[in-house]
Amino acid sequence: MRKQKLIVLLAIALSLQAGAQKPAFSISGMAGVSYENYGLSRKPTGWTGFTPRKPWNQVRFNFTPTMQFGKDFSLPFNFNFAMKPTNFAGPYTGLQKQSFGQFITNPMNSFGLNPKYKWAELQLGTQYLNYSNLSTGDIGVFGAGFDLRPGAYVIKFFTGVSQQGVNFFTGPPTTNGAYKRSNWMFSLGRAKEGKYELALNFVKAKDDTTTLVAPVSGIKPQEGFTMSIVSKAWFKGGWYYSAEAAQSIYTKDLLLPLDSAKASFKPFIDGHASTVKDVAADAAFGRKSKNFDLGLRLKYLGAGFQTPGYPFMLPDRFDYMLTTRINAWKSKEGSYKMNIVASGGQRVNNVSNTTLRAKQFIGNLNWFTQFNDHWNLNISFNNFGFQAPGGINPYGIRNVSTDLGINPTWTWSNEKMVNLLSLNYTYSKYDERDVFTGLVTSNNTHTGLLSYVPTFLKSGISPDFSLMYFLNKLPGFKTTLITFSSGVAFPALKKKMNLRIQGQYTYSKNNSFTGNNNLIGSLNSDWKLNKKLTWTTFISTNQFHYGNEITPNNARYLESTIRTGFQYKFGK
Amino acid sequence: MKRIYIILALLITTFSGYAQYTTNLVIAPNPPGSLIEWDSKVLTFIIINQSGAPGRPAILKTEIKTLDGANVATTNLAKARIISFGVGSTVFGPGDVLPLEQMVFTGKYKTTLDRTGKLPADNYQLCVQLVTPNDYQPLSESKCRNFNLAAYQLPIPTSPLNESIVALDKVRTTVTFRWTPVTPRPAQELVYRIRVFEVLRNQTPVQAMRSNQPVLDRDINSTTQYIWQHQLPLQFCSADDVAEADSLQKGGNDYALVNGLTAYTFVWTIQTLDRNGHAFGDGNINHDGISEPVVFSVDRRPIGAKPAFGLIYQSR
Repeated sequence: MRKQKLIVLLAIALSLQAGAQKPAFSISGMAGVSYENYGLSRKPTGWTGFTPRKPWNQVRFNFTPTMQFGKDFSLPFNFNFAMKPTNFAGPYTGLQKQSFGQFITNPMNSFGLNPKYKWAELQLGTQYLNYSNLSTGDIGVFGAGFDLRPGAYVIKFFTGVSQQGVNFFTGPPTTNGAYKRSNWMFSLGRAKEGKYELALNFVKAKDDTTTLVAPVSGIKPQEGFTMSIVSKAWFKGGWYYSAEAAQSIYTKDLLLPLDSAKASFKPFIDGHASTVKDVAADAAFGRKSKNFDLGLRLKYLGAGFQTPGYPFMLPDRFDYMLTTRINAWKSKEGSYKMNIVASGGQRVNNVSNTTLRAKQFIGNLNWFTQFNDHWNLNISFNNFGFQAPGGINPYGIRNVSTDLGINPTWTWSNEKMVNLLSLNYTYSKYDERDVFTGLVTSNNTHTGLLSYVPTFLKSGISPDFSLMYFLNKLPGFKTTLITFSSGVAFPALKKKMNLRIQGQYTYSKNNSFTGNNNLIGSLNSDWKLNKKLTWTTFISTNQFHYGNEITPNNARYLESTIRTGFQYKFGK
Repeated sequence: MKRIYIILALLITTFSGYAQYTTNLVIAPNPPGSLIEWDSKVLTFIIINQSGAPGRPAILKTEIKTLDGANVATTNLAKARIISFGVGSTVFGPGDVLPLEQMVFTGKYKTTLDRTGKLPADNYQLCVQLVTPNDYQPLSESKCRNFNLAAYQLPIPTSPLNESIVALDKVRTTVTFRWTPVTPRPAQELVYRIRVFEVLRNQTPVQAMRSNQPVLDRDINSTTQYIWQHQLPLQFCSADDVAEADSLQKGGNDYALVNGLTAYTFVWTIQTLDRNGHAFGDGNINHDGISEPVVFSVDRRPIGAKPAFGLIYQSR
């Protein structure tokens, strides 16, 4: 509590000092409120084949102004919150009422305040801090800390709570629950913008073992500590490199007894019987320029590497990826007509088990060419292949996916209108080998899409029309879809309002079953009530009518969304 | 002659002890690789006391070996906890049979366990025997069972690729999801639960995963592809949105879209479940069997716009 008071006092002192130096004040950013209503009606009554996709009612607030006091002091707010009781496991986990503590730390909500005076920044409330690729970056923490950059030094610290305790909930869907988790992070280094960075990072998280009423088997309180050293440098000609090495010590079950034979890093973490220690490394180097990029990235995560800052990171892998971007074929106006982006690499999983290593090849290409004022062509190609040894099975796993897309676009115009005609064809093939029989199942998809977009120059109206044919075939199964969609955007109320209306009809058919029908309609309006205030409204409906492919036959549902809200823009 | 009497006496004592305590060892044939994940569904040791009197104080002596006989781990009998049991059946779980803090692992097995919490993928034999606390004399037969550790790896979402951008008109009706299967392929049928969350403006992908309701939540049996007819009312953005997104990118990535303005962003992941609906995992990351999530964006700019190659989540 004393620490929090000190931080608040420091923030006030910083603001008063800054305010005394220079009275000039400016403000920018947004504030707003929106309400969303979701409806779902299913027939016949009692059929539950389609489940709701949103909360029935939701009010959201955003308050994100940045106040600038003089030259040196700024006060950015980042408040985004909703009234729905929720927790880390989602709004459907049975939390009926939330306490104030749950409300402000609930992951749906952000209450962040970052007062900054010259090189000193206080970080208060919800912060999603990214220290590095192997230490912390994915987790939102509610707490307090700072980011100080005196001269070339960088000193960062933050502590808080990343999740409240959640008890087991039977559902549906079932939630296993989680312990309350506290986080600490610290970084010390030197940096010069555009030249170099060097930092030592320390990240720790620990579960509170007392926070669950009745822990479910399998949910264990954990503690993790990761330290990393990261360096980056940028050189002349656009060359760069970055490298990070990290070591993690992670206790998978804090309830198991302390064990002096296990890895420890006192006073930050004590080894328990379930403590593991492993390393990871991440490196990238290459060149970036206006018209040519080339980069190579390598990443190794040891089988026991686990950091609390990236809770979903899968360990035991090594991957490398080569990427490039090329602009070529300069036009008379100085722009480039051709743009190529490509990447290729390999990922090896189960690195620690030589006999079970699985290899995944990845290759992507996107090639855009603007031949002249009238037509351009975009070609995309994606491929990945995955192979793993059979183990106890007669055949190994072998999955190969290939996608090829060709997209020519033709544009022509006259004094009254501009016309755009676009054709897109995609062929997608996915082969899966059965590990017991060795038989390969081919799943082939053809998609054809024709779009026409006329723009009427005088009125500014720009409708679009498109027709899509989709065919997916695999042995014993065939799906066909035909979609027609059209939309129009136009100004209204003396250009104070932007309206967009869209409709889409899809007929789909599986094998010899009777076809399904789907109709989607939506309306969006942005009405500028004055220079600063905008009223936005979005309405959509989705009517789906099954044929006889499911039981009960002819089941149908109507999904609707109404969202309306006001956005206020601060400043000029 | 005297020696023979002693041996006979010992044998009689031993067999009379064996007769009093019948034991049974049950172990799942393919338990999780991570030993702390073992629970009573994986490993149980049952003592049936038919003597009619409370059982003698005893120690559970556990040994793990490879099938070719190499020693992997044994109980440190000096540190082992003394157990007691009454008349009839008493059931012990992994906490008693395989207490990690009392087991002595050898060589490379200790190294791997300290690094990963797992034993290397292999075929093993687990033996458990009741012994006396002081002189470690056997009180029951040694019961042995074989098991296989496979070092399973959870699926990797492969399509749409992480951080990929697709044009709105191409995904207006369907999005095709593909992922790698659990490797090595287990004998049991698995269920892959695919979940897709929309990342709202000013949200990060993990924040969306932790707080939003999924727009897709579907269980897929065994296969590793799902064609999603999403029925979402995806709309092209307005010229004002494009202008606002451009203004936010000044000095930044010219090829980037801005979530909530020129892009819709989704995060998707696969949760692997066994045939009983329980999370399938190896104790790698979390206990929910959830794979590393992948983010993809839908380019909302009108048809014909030049390709974009990056995304900005925060508009502020």
